[in-house]
Amino acid sequence: MSITWDREAAAHLARRAGFGATPAELDSWVQAGLDATVDRLVNYGSVDNSQLENDLQALTSFVPPATSPIYDLSRIDGVRRWFLHRMVFTKRPLEEKMTYLWNLWWTSGITKVQGVTLMHNQNKTMRQYALGKFDDMVVAISQDPAMLIWLDNAQSRAGRPNENYARELMELFTLGVDKYTQTDVTEVARALTGWTVQGYTSADSYNGAKFFDNVAQHDNGSKTILGQTGNWNGRDAIRIILEDQDNRGSVSGRFVASKLWTFFAYQDPPDWIVDELTDVYVSSGRSIKAMVEHIFRMEEFYERHSRKVLVRSPVEYVAASLKQLEAKTDMSVPVSDLIAMGQALFDPADAKGPEGDMDWINTGTTFARASTTNKFVTNRSTTGTRIDVNALVAGKTLTTPTDVVNALTDRFGLADVPPQTRADWAKYVDSNPDGSRGYWKNEPARVDVKVRGLLHLMLTSPDYHLC
Amino acid sequence: MPINRREFLFRGVGVATVSALVPRFAVAGARFFEESLVPGAAARVLVVVELAGGNDGLNTVVPYTDPLYSGTLRKNIGVPAASVLDLDGTLGFNPVMTGLKSLWDAGRLAVVEGVSYPNPNLSHFTSRDIWHTADPALAQRRGWLGRWADVALAGNGNPLCGCAISQSLPRTLLADKVVFPSFTNLAAYAYATDGQNSSDAANQITGFVAENSVQHEIETRNALIGGVARDAASSSATLKQVTSNYVPKATYPNNSLGNALKLCAEIINGNLGTQILYVTYGGFDNHASQKAAHDNLLKAVSDSIKAFFDDLDGQGKSSNVLLMTWSEFGRRPQENSSLGTDHGTSGVHFVAGSAAIRGIYGPPPSLSSLDRNGNLTWQTDFRSYYGTVLRDWLKADADAILGKGYPNLGFVNAAYV
Repeated sequence: MSITWDREAAAHLARRAGFGATPAELDSWVQAGLDATVDRLVNYGSVDNSQLENDLQALTSFVPPATSPIYDLSRIDGVRRWFLHRMVFTKRPLEEKMTYLWNLWWTSGITKVQGVTLMHNQNKTMRQYALGKFDDMVVAISQDPAMLIWLDNAQSRAGRPNENYARELMELFTLGVDKYTQTDVTEVARALTGWTVQGYTSADSYNGAKFFDNVAQHDNGSKTILGQTGNWNGRDAIRIILEDQDNRGSVSGRFVASKLWTFFAYQDPPDWIVDELTDVYVSSGRSIKAMVEHIFRMEEFYERHSRKVLVRSPVEYVAASLKQLEAKTDMSVPVSDLIAMGQALFDPADAKGPEGDMDWINTGTTFARASTTNKFVTNRSTTGTRIDVNALVAGKTLTTPTDVVNALTDRFGLADVPPQTRADWAKYVDSNPDGSRGYWKNEPARVDVKVRGLLHLMLTSPDYHLC
Repeated sequence: MPINRREFLFRGVGVATVSALVPRFAVAGARFFEESLVPGAAARVLVVVELAGGNDGLNTVVPYTDPLYSGTLRKNIGVPAASVLDLDGTLGFNPVMTGLKSLWDAGRLAVVEGVSYPNPNLSHFTSRDIWHTADPALAQRRGWLGRWADVALAGNGNPLCGCAISQSLPRTLLADKVVFPSFTNLAAYAYATDGQNSSDAANQITGFVAENSVQHEIETRNALIGGVARDAASSSATLKQVTSNYVPKATYPNNSLGNALKLCAEIINGNLGTQILYVTYGGFDNHASQKAAHDNLLKAVSDSIKAFFDDLDGQGKSSNVLLMTWSEFGRRPQENSSLGTDHGTSGVHFVAGSAAIRGIYGPPPSLSSLDRNGNLTWQTDFRSYYGTVLRDWLKADADAILGKGYPNLGFVNAAYV
């Protein structure tokens, strides 16, 4: 077996393990080879990211007479901008892609949580445990103040257990629907009693809330969880859930394997893939890193039928656009436009979170995406989100309309579009205002019109909504 | 297990492939959609107006003869009895609501009192979801009109069979088999082009349609995405065409609700086969210094709805339109110390249109028997409110959509044709 490691394969990996790559990044990935590229992706702790951290330090601070930082972390939009900035400008793409996956996986929404700092801290926790042991992530999230409020475990007490988190912990987060009984829900809820928050003062905001293991409110009675009986506490319950087996092996392993493959490769993985990844889960001691690294080295991951079959979420669409346009941005428009595209980052409508896939695409959101990328490519001012149109075609041959198209397809991972699409784009470049042909000349005014227009067409082609 | 949207769309791939090069909703296609609609219900339009934040029912339809209202509960922010627009000798509209009063006088307005649900939830977040899904247990993912649309509109292929004039899709319209677009204004429902090179705009739109019409060697989601994009482009062109020369026959107030209802009138007048229109108007969460702000909101609601029907009357399009309002809850009867009101329970809602039967439906809530939070005890189940609209206006199986039967309130003329 072998994987053909070429520019297309590297671009595929970059779309999945991150938010796409710039041409310069692709050059280095191709040259480094698959093994070294995957090594560097998954061992990101050793990749210097100080530029990003320094930039964010400045962007989240302010000097009077300014009255607020550019990314105001006391407001949820500031946290959104901070997170999107990380996705676009990090040197550790997988770190942010994993954090984004966990953000979708666990949900939590500011509308109910009412504490911007708690949402920010939860995001940091997800980043901290992004590629760790799944057990550590589950415990950290189960004790996360935003989650404790979001799914009501903060109110769960001995004698009055709240089942909301206990149910979703098993159904949405670790095992899947029908892998537990209502009795298990009740018993896990009892085991989790006492895991709550304290330390906030205002009735309007939970900011300041810290995890508190209130032993006085813990139900110390005997519980039977997934067939195991004992005086279980929250950590015991999580361990029992993650160790649960059925006749196909590790239940949580299959759940995690399926979710990871669906997120990184394609939907509805066949059994052999779930089996293979579940084996990695078990043999690695439930290491997310081992599973993700395994995926990125699988031949199946690079097959043609694995490529360009996932619909980009609005966040992924915006992040990839900004990155591949090499845009300058204060993240203002990108964040404020996400709602119109249908994604309320840090504010999902329910515990399950968005359905994803074609649910992202309707006539309204199609226009919303186009409106946002139009702003990116047509902003000629020196503030806000903007591009350097000349830099994007610097050093390229631009003699014919086809040259112009060819100068840009690689940048956006669109080298594989059908010939008809290239022809349609070239026709656009060469079209006069009245629709007749013969417009194109390589001169600054025409570059300014047609390269911007072409960039927008590329970003609104069906191919670019896929990754 | 019900088919989910993903399965539905995935199964739709074959269809999208076959028709990949055919615009699915051409300008000339509007008539086709009208012909394909369910007979009887075909021409009917339901306009839903959400008053977001929790509207204060007691200062909207004022129990002005109840001494508890003026003497105890609303000493400072109450509507003076002498100023109300009397309805029946005991209840009267807030005096700013002259527009709705004239619809009442014309016999085209129903007032539905005391609407809520068992164990009313005082959270905006939760109560709004309950109203959107018509399910106090919150076990439904889809909205109540989404469930209706999955039966009534699935497969009709009209991308404008319903739409929301709002920034994102309200959950009321969340369906499995139908995707309603949402947009705040017509300019937003179009392929954005380079504002500094308007002479190139037509080329950009042509390019957008072209690139979304290309067949791929391997068709995955690209065919579906292309199909949606072509629907978007053609329905946008249609909308632009039917609205470009629109001359309203009434003057709408210059606020977001007036603008949204004007857009609704343009869409209705365009004969696009649109059956559901949804508008959100916010700002009703008046915890402090309520009076002036709330009066302004009520005036906007009243004037906008009146202008909407005046406009439709002038266009000859009002007979097939019914408008209903909702809000996630009413407010606490006892005003608070900030001259505002806190979250309450039942509220009052309006149904307007020629098929509405003038009257006050449901007993007005008692101001003397409040619940343990000091809130109104509710009288009319909101599913009765929805069910009446579903059954008598949309001619739908209301019991199936709502899970069981609820008493019909009778405010829609069931024999109306």
